Amino acid sequence: MNGVRVMVVDDHPMWREGVARDLTEAGHEVVASCGEGRQAVRVIGAARPDLVVLDLQLPDISGVQVIRGLRAERPDVRVLMLSASGEQQGVLDAVKAGATGYLLKSAGLAEFLDAVRRTAAGEPVFTPGLAGLVLGEYRRLAAVREQAPDGTQDSAPRLTERETEVLRLVAKGMSYKQIAERLGLSHRTVQNHVQNTLGKLQLHNRVELTRYAIERGLDE
Amino acid sequence: MVTGVSAPGGFELPLWRAVAVFRVASLAYVCVVVLRDADRYAHPLLAGVLVLVMAAWTAVTAIGYATPARRGWPLLLADLGVVVAILLATPWVMGRAALDAGLPTMAVAWLSGPVLAWAVCGGRRRGALAAVVVGATDLATRGMATPTAINGAILMLLAGVVVGHVARLTVTAGERLQRAVEIEAANRERERLARDIHDSVLQVLALVQRRGERLDGEAGELARLAGEQEAALRMLISGTGPLSGDDVDAPVDLNALLGRYASGSVSLSAPATPVPLPPAVARELAAATGAALDNVARHGGGRAWVLVEDEGTAVTVSIRDEGAGFAPERLAEAAAQGRLGVTHAIQGRLADLGGTARISSTPGAGTEVELTVPRRGS
Repeated sequence: MNGVRVMVVDDHPMWREGVARDLTEAGHEVVASCGEGRQAVRVIGAARPDLVVLDLQLPDISGVQVIRGLRAERPDVRVLMLSASGEQQGVLDAVKAGATGYLLKSAGLAEFLDAVRRTAAGEPVFTPGLAGLVLGEYRRLAAVREQAPDGTQDSAPRLTERETEVLRLVAKGMSYKQIAERLGLSHRTVQNHVQNTLGKLQLHNRVELTRYAIERGLDE
Repeated sequence: MVTGVSAPGGFELPLWRAVAVFRVASLAYVCVVVLRDADRYAHPLLAGVLVLVMAAWTAVTAIGYATPARRGWPLLLADLGVVVAILLATPWVMGRAALDAGLPTMAVAWLSGPVLAWAVCGGRRRGALAAVVVGATDLATRGMATPTAINGAILMLLAGVVVGHVARLTVTAGERLQRAVEIEAANRERERLARDIHDSVLQVLALVQRRGERLDGEAGELARLAGEQEAALRMLISGTGPLSGDDVDAPVDLNALLGRYASGSVSLSAPATPVPLPPAVARELAAATGAALDNVARHGGGRAWVLVEDEGTAVTVSIRDEGAGFAPERLAEAAAQGRLGVTHAIQGRLADLGGTARISSTPGAGTEVELTVPRRGS
């Protein structure tokens, strides 16, 4: 398989170099590496990466702001986020902003390279922890919908029963292959279900942002 | 319990100062009244002595009440006793004629001093009690209940009740404020620590683990140890919510309780928002989860995954492992033979909470335990 054009964004020089070396050794091309979010947004146009490996905790701007900036410059770029602390709300916000891969920094090298390959190929890379966060977010949206006056929250996304089932199994640590076997589905179908759960959240997030902008008159 | 930084009773200090100021001011009024009326008293000289006694006692109480340790019963009773004694001496010093002429009694407003002291010290009830004692003595010494005297007694009673009430409020408000400040400081310190640990230690430990992964022997072992510490530290700084004081009935975040079980081999999946449960329920559910994880470790160990789900009307914790597993018959068999074991203990805990524990297993494919607890009154 062909190497992936990767940009590494992390404020720790030692870590940045280590990741870049691992990626190069595995046959990928590291087209840029930076230590700050604003700098990453500035150079992404020229560097044209397919994938950004992004540390969620940067010194200048939040992970969500970096992802929005990156995707505004380059809408098709995939984002694999890494976080050292497993910080929960931040990871969820980043997913809603458009990141499709998530890994703890403590993940092993093989796991990391696998995540790079899969995220670049458009597969959602979930940790069990991320699946738990996404499940929780859908439940939160459902609770908001129940308490809101009729109709005002109908645009909030919901999970199908199958999607819930799949997501619960991911959260309990099962691989797509194991889930496919247990539910009698194809590997591809399981993957699609997981992808849909993220897609709906991201779409909802964009709709909400637009609505907010219109309400504030920012569209004029 | 978070202990106060200031001395106990420190919040009352402004109130005690106010009482001392009141005593001095009312003493000044006493001097004015005595100077004006002295020529009509039976024993003007003794009246002067009495005023000196009042001045001395004002000084004693101002100093005495300023120290928390001295604000006990001896001083309070002595305070009340001195005022009652002065009141009792009044008819003799002033003489019947002066009293019958309607002159104000010598102590005038000064006699409210102990009432205020009792109210600040012990709240409404003590304030009212002192007011009744002083008021009754005052009326008794006059020998007749003029409307002015009754007015004075009732005003004193009201002052006792109101000041007592305000004193309690002030102390409670002060304590709450201090608690809030302390909790905020502790939280800020914890956040700062979390940031520092994240920026330095976690990154280095993760790096050591990653780079050492492909080394053999001792170096590889060191890398693995670094990884374990990294996981433990990460849970320590992210797994616990902010302190919320020590209200024993306040809901507890289940996520925070389960955070301590997460490690390199146990992954915890939970919502980003807290999962509030009554403290007893949260503790039992966490203990049952711990028992299930112990069971995993005992039977071959390996990895385990914990999932927390908040469905609004119920909370579910699932524990899954990929160990040896067992045939479903074996569970019933063990129970029939009276070998209760861990699974039974878990089911017992959940039954006590009005919940259920579902245990399923396939030989060779691991075990899944699902603990569900209903939320009452939500």
